[in-house]
Amino acid sequence: MKLELKNISKNFHGVKALQNVDFQLQENSIHALLGENGAGKSTLVKILCGVYQPDSGTINLNNKQQSIPDPSASLSLGISAIHQESVMFDELSVTENVFIGNHITKSNGLVDWGLMQDKTNQLLKDLEANIEPNEKIKDLSIAQRHIVQISRSLIHDADIVIMDEPTASLSQKEINELYTIIRNLKKQNKSIIFISHKLDEVIEVCDEFTVLRDGELIKSDSIQNTNKDQLITYMAGREVNQIFPKNDVIIENEIFEVRNLFKKTQFKDINFNLRKKEILGFYGLVGSGRTEIMKSIFGITKLDEGEILFKDQKILIKKPSDAIDQGIVYLSEERQQLGMTGLMSVKDNINMAVMDRNSNFYVMNTLKEIKNSSAMQEKLNIKVSYWSQLTQSLSGGNQQKTVIAKWLSTKPEVLILDEPTKGIDVRSKSAVHEFMGELVEEGMSIMMISSELPEILGMCDRVVVMYKGLIKDILNVKEASSEQIVKLASGES
Amino acid sequence: MKKILLNRDFILFSIILIILIAVGFANPLFVTPKSISDVLTDTSILIILALSQMIVILIRAIDLSVASNLALSGMLISLLSTVHPELPVYYFIALSCVIGTILGVLNGISIAILKVPFIVTTLGTLSIYRGLIYFVSDGKQVYSNEFSEDFLALIHVKFLSLSFLFWLAVVVFIVIYILLNHTRFGRNLYSLGGNPDAAKYIGINENKYIIMAYSLSGFFAGLCGYLWVARYSVASTQIAIGFELTVISACVVGGISVMGGVGTVLGCVLGALLIGLIRNALPAVDISQFWQLAISGAIILLAIIINTKTEQRKEKTIMVEN
Repeated sequence: MKLELKNISKNFHGVKALQNVDFQLQENSIHALLGENGAGKSTLVKILCGVYQPDSGTINLNNKQQSIPDPSASLSLGISAIHQESVMFDELSVTENVFIGNHITKSNGLVDWGLMQDKTNQLLKDLEANIEPNEKIKDLSIAQRHIVQISRSLIHDADIVIMDEPTASLSQKEINELYTIIRNLKKQNKSIIFISHKLDEVIEVCDEFTVLRDGELIKSDSIQNTNKDQLITYMAGREVNQIFPKNDVIIENEIFEVRNLFKKTQFKDINFNLRKKEILGFYGLVGSGRTEIMKSIFGITKLDEGEILFKDQKILIKKPSDAIDQGIVYLSEERQQLGMTGLMSVKDNINMAVMDRNSNFYVMNTLKEIKNSSAMQEKLNIKVSYWSQLTQSLSGGNQQKTVIAKWLSTKPEVLILDEPTKGIDVRSKSAVHEFMGELVEEGMSIMMISSELPEILGMCDRVVVMYKGLIKDILNVKEASSEQIVKLASGES
Repeated sequence: MKKILLNRDFILFSIILIILIAVGFANPLFVTPKSISDVLTDTSILIILALSQMIVILIRAIDLSVASNLALSGMLISLLSTVHPELPVYYFIALSCVIGTILGVLNGISIAILKVPFIVTTLGTLSIYRGLIYFVSDGKQVYSNEFSEDFLALIHVKFLSLSFLFWLAVVVFIVIYILLNHTRFGRNLYSLGGNPDAAKYIGINENKYIIMAYSLSGFFAGLCGYLWVARYSVASTQIAIGFELTVISACVVGGISVMGGVGTVLGCVLGALLIGLIRNALPAVDISQFWQLAISGAIILLAIIINTKTEQRKEKTIMVEN
């Protein structure tokens, strides 16, 4: 046994991210780690990388119990992770990124560029990758970046390589090249943990699999003993339960429509409509183009082609304030960076987008501001300890509610929510859901991007399923099965 | 070929050449070897300080205290030389460097250990170091006749009809070039500035590098303390006042990104040369003194705009043709 995790549990502020999970990685094997978003895969990986410490449980490496207190300990134990997020140095060359922190020096103490260049060249050749060692990382494709990360882990002599959705944004050709490399790694006696949402490739590449759901171990077995449908059932097989308290509302006429939206390299042929009092979901893998579409609708980025209709009128949105004036608002996924100003009070954040309405001749009317913010705080149940409390000191859930309150102050008719419950605790999550239900009852229409299938199934009337910048289908949620949606979103069928 | 044309250093070099030619047409006397060698001499201190500032900027910081550090080190050795004129000049140079380094280390400790933001720390030490000059000198000047002959002679040594200052700048250029491109220390500075979070993952000790970078900046400020005093044969409370801004502009013009992790040693030197050239050329082409400051500022801004416009950001691709 190469690696064995026993009874691993991890809690974040009362949310159980992992509960008594066992995980076994055989010597010289490719092991798929599967699960929906939020199932606990990333937490498990971060524990192996030394980023998180488990609350309980043991880690055995080569039949010896180990603790992994920090990332460098993980590296020196021979565990190397290829992350989705960038841990590379964009401005530095391929050679340098491979050897970063590990530069080879000559006897005189100077860095031996020649030798490092040669070794990188050799390494890339062994991996059958077509990359120039002196290219800068920023000029490489995502696939090539993965390969550089793989080379880095080989230099570190890693014998466990973790790959987190390495094929998420690659073309078929690039994917095939990556498979070759992964198989080559296996020949070099490495063990690989492979995280992916694409089940076809999992079945093609992997030897074993482990499925997590809601932080619990569902199934671990050899790939030969299963098939794709069974894997889907393991992953999505949860019943949508009572945490989505949405009442039925009578959906009215169409209010918003987009026709043939196109943006080079981002998305094309985007057609959908939104009806009054409807919640329209957008489901797809991370990076399938959902956020990009919403950003162009809201005027943050420019469309190359296409038209937007609002109440049967063609409208032109050049910048966010055009959209806000029309009554369309967008709540960003990155609420910390784009949605709120942490060093301002809740009141100021709530009133930020409606300063003109709360002022007389450019002088702020504090009374109006307080009125608006206390009404919103009550409506959304935002808990503050004192009136001037800074937004950054609130919990994630209350922060998210503050951002929502800010946009609701503009009295919008169409609300675009991008991952509205990402990273917030269960209670705030259901508060946000409940509130969405109230909003549509009051006559608002909502478009919601979500990577959590249960949320889509529980909250939405229809769902737009996206894959690589294209709409695969628009389904009526009541008639659609989760298997069907997962299949569409991974580019199958 | 296109790659060379879009290279920042090449663009900067072209801008310098164009200015030189333009000024040459307006005033042919400006482009004689003698005059150009004067410009180089005049720019040498700026080059040295820009190179050491670059080390700090690479790790996403700034050292605003360099000019005050220079002035304080320069004043201390000048005062010593009035008391002990018999000491050899190398002794003063070494002492000036040591004082500068200590002042730099203090900056580093405040930022790395006490966690005072770099802008606050160096803004504070800018005033403190400048204020100490008044304290040690009683606000008095040290005049040229008070220095020993030995103290002033070195600066006037010439080799191949180029000044000592110029050759020293060349040496510093080579040393810093090797340091930043061919040592682990230098490469780690680039990675720390380029992606601090990722740098921590590979085990780079951020605090150590902050202190090292500031002590290097201090070391060269100290060195320039001697050079400045010896060159102008005077030490006063006012020397090099505001010079830190010239140094930082030289780095920025030279393409050293204040976001960290980006910039070449050659670019930095070219940035300093461009600023030195403008400062010397404007009087030569008969532009009113009142306009010179504004014009040199405008040229610097223009150079930065041209330089940054060449770097286009790429968008992430989602759709792929299968």
